[in-house]
Amino acid sequence: MATDAKVTTARGRVAAKHKHPVNQLFHDEATLGEHVADQAAAGIGSWWFLIIQSILIVIWVTINSVEFFTHKWDLYPFILLNLMFTIQAAFTGPVLLLSGNRQAQKDRLRLEHTAEVAEVAEKATLEILEEIERNTAATLKVLEHLQKRRDSRSAAPAQS
Amino acid sequence: MAQPGVSGSPAIVHRLRQKHRNPNADHKHPVNRAHYDDASRGARVADQVSAAIGSWPFIITQSVLLLVWAAINFWGLFVKRWDPYPFILLNLVLSFQATYAGPIVLLAGNRHAQKDRITLEHMADEADKGEEQINRILIEIKKNTDLTLRILKELEAESA
Repeated sequence: MATDAKVTTARGRVAAKHKHPVNQLFHDEATLGEHVADQAAAGIGSWWFLIIQSILIVIWVTINSVEFFTHKWDLYPFILLNLMFTIQAAFTGPVLLLSGNRQAQKDRLRLEHTAEVAEVAEKATLEILEEIERNTAATLKVLEHLQKRRDSRSAAPAQS
Repeated sequence: MAQPGVSGSPAIVHRLRQKHRNPNADHKHPVNRAHYDDASRGARVADQVSAAIGSWPFIITQSVLLLVWAAINFWGLFVKRWDPYPFILLNLVLSFQATYAGPIVLLAGNRHAQKDRITLEHMADEADKGEEQINRILIEIKKNTDLTLRILKELEAESA
């Protein structure tokens, strides 16, 4: 196999064409929507997202509760922040399913590929077995031939 | 690029591409057949629901509805405000969505876990089958070797 077919960089980005056909179909031939779905799942499921979200929450609560800040928009008990959380959750669910559907799609495709390869492999195995059986039959004939020759030779001097 | 082997043969890739985005395709792998083609009604509905919610149309539609709701109730466009700032009813509606999204995510996850379990069972069966075939090949080669050794003995006896 060509050695230049490096497929992932250190950060897991796809740098070149994949070798496995399932990866080729799934990653290299992904539509824009599928590509964005993968990016979204990777983005939300990352430490960066969690850290930035935590920082924003702390800033929001601090500004709206500490007296030092004069411009407040969401006083205790932070009803608008609650709405923000809900909006985040309302989008995380579908994105989670989106990502899960993608994984299920890949799993389905991988099994189909496994079945295709297994079929070819089983055929090859049976062919190997048949070939060895043919070889055994031929070898057996050689042995029988030799035995016959020995029998006729040991019989010949006795007759003379 | 090197010649594609069995794994990436054009015929296989062609068949995989046809099934790529179609979970209703005629599957080859027994686990896919059991999981998709022979799915129960509940399982089918679960798949359809997670496919519908985990899709870009759902996410985009939800975003548009959310913005329209907020815009109407913030600026009082077109109709009387029914949920003024800070949108408590919108919060309830989105919470309602999230309350159902969670179990549906788990439903899809359970489906997937079940598939994973069946896949492993199938792999164990396949491994047994493969072992049996290899054993048959081994026995056949041993038979062959025995015969070859007997021929060797014959020949040695002849030249002695």
